Amino acid sequence: MEGRPPGTGTNGGAIAAERLTKSYGRSRGIVDVTFEVLPGEIFGFLGPNGAGKTTTIRTILDLIRPTSGRAAVLGLDSHEHAIEIRRRTGYLPGEFAAYENMNGRDYLGYFAHLRGGVDPERVRLLAERLQSDLDVRISSLSHGNRQKLGLIQAFMHRPSVLVLDEPTQGLDPIMQQEFHRLIFEAREAGTTVFISSHVLPEIERLCDRVGVIREGRLISVEDVGTLKARALRTIELQFDGPAPRGEFEGLPGVRDVEVHGDSLRFTVAGDLDRIVKTAARHRVVDLVSHEPGLEEIFLAFYGPDGGAPEGAPEEEGKAAP
Amino acid sequence: MSATIATKTLRDQRRGLIGWAGGMVGLVLMYAVFYPSIRENAGQLQKYVQSMPDAMKRMFGEGLDFGTPVGYLKTELFSVMAPLLLLILSIGAGGRAIAGEEERRTLDLLLANPVTRRRVVLEKFAAMVGAAATVGTALWVGVALFGPVFGLRVDLSNLAAASFSAVLLGLTYGAFALLLGCWRGRRGTAIGVASALAVGLYLVDILSPSISGARWLEKLSPFHYYLGPDPLRNGFSAGDSAVLVVLAALFVGGAVIAFDRRDPAA
Repeated sequence: MEGRPPGTGTNGGAIAAERLTKSYGRSRGIVDVTFEVLPGEIFGFLGPNGAGKTTTIRTILDLIRPTSGRAAVLGLDSHEHAIEIRRRTGYLPGEFAAYENMNGRDYLGYFAHLRGGVDPERVRLLAERLQSDLDVRISSLSHGNRQKLGLIQAFMHRPSVLVLDEPTQGLDPIMQQEFHRLIFEAREAGTTVFISSHVLPEIERLCDRVGVIREGRLISVEDVGTLKARALRTIELQFDGPAPRGEFEGLPGVRDVEVHGDSLRFTVAGDLDRIVKTAARHRVVDLVSHEPGLEEIFLAFYGPDGGAPEGAPEEEGKAAP
Repeated sequence: MSATIATKTLRDQRRGLIGWAGGMVGLVLMYAVFYPSIRENAGQLQKYVQSMPDAMKRMFGEGLDFGTPVGYLKTELFSVMAPLLLLILSIGAGGRAIAGEEERRTLDLLLANPVTRRRVVLEKFAAMVGAAATVGTALWVGVALFGPVFGLRVDLSNLAAASFSAVLLGLTYGAFALLLGCWRGRRGTAIGVASALAVGLYLVDILSPSISGARWLEKLSPFHYYLGPDPLRNGFSAGDSAVLVVLAALFVGGAVIAFDRRDPAA
């Protein structure tokens, strides 16, 4: 993570937001968002739709201007040095449209030219890996295939920073795998990656650290491991005899134990080591572990009423006013 | 491959532009075909028009004479139809330029390239100039080529001056639509308001001289600087053209500032 000098400014981070605030009349927007993405790391930006992820990203890239606060990329002020930043940044918007009347090749060629030219071999290779047919008119491409073009244009000039807003939307699982490989290769090459998402598993798989945003406020920045450890997940165990409810109820982190015939269903915080070892004493017919959703994560952070992280979740609560 | 934002924008319209230029030539041809029969009945027509109210006379152009090529072209082609085509073309381009890309959600990625917003606006305007100039050239070529076939022979440099002025008029309103689009981000609003203003100020130009003491109002209308100096008869008028150029430049400058200060929609 340490290493390359990121830029000319005073900020050490590859991306830095300092009390970034964007108000839109009513409630939407972001409030006092402060974080720093270290050079060479993959940083996840996790939050439900409408939490302010896109607003934060567009403010950092000077597509919209903050009401207050400032942002910097590669040590350069977002607004002051917007052009230099864009030269060295690859950006994939959350919801974008490509020019319907062009084919992929012309579309990428257009942006390549605006960037002063990119290596055509690089474009060819990216298209091949993402299985993108560049000769098809964009108007007849599926959502996923348009998304691929968005990814290619973000990667094609080998940027120092990648800012990707919900990058895997519409990609099929195989392409998601390929995308993950591209991300890891980019990090290997020293690229800093900023990825927003509203699904935890994707962030878990890719990121080193994650910032969690909700209702316009950044509520936490953690290592992905810490986040996972805190997350609540639901486990279903089916035994070939009466469910040993009592053995599980006593385990630390386990709660809401329910019995349905021979099955046991409960939520657990943290790792599953104790669960698996306890279950192993019996004959287990089936084991299902549900990925924790965002709401579970927020509950893990705030509890139902914004209280302690370990509070028992009884009803849905709000973390921010 | 598309090179710049301007050439890409022009390339997008290439089919439309061929249609516009062809339409302009077709329009010229249609008026030219009717010229011989109109010239024969010029006397009667003249009398008929003389009996009209002043404002209507001005719609056909002052100093009517259907019997001469200059008078006929001015009345039929240059007073309404030719500038109308150029206005529709330019206002449409102005509305689409920024607001159109914004509404189609293509703008975010365009702006994520290392180009300034000012450059985007200026290149979009350059594309508009290119399109209007193409159609203006078609107007000139049409009259120069087909006019003589039907006895419509006019001084070609005066014809160029009139075509040029029509292009300038279109660009002035096109630049205004560009400004509105940059300011509000709505293509429909930009095109609607610019078109309404064009119609309104056209009426000011033709109606104000008939109202006593209101003649000065015509100076507020860009149309006044287009046909007022009668370029088809008198040739290029630097002063009047300069007014339109300065107006367009102000609008484009305003567009750059407005776009730079606004948060475009994602």
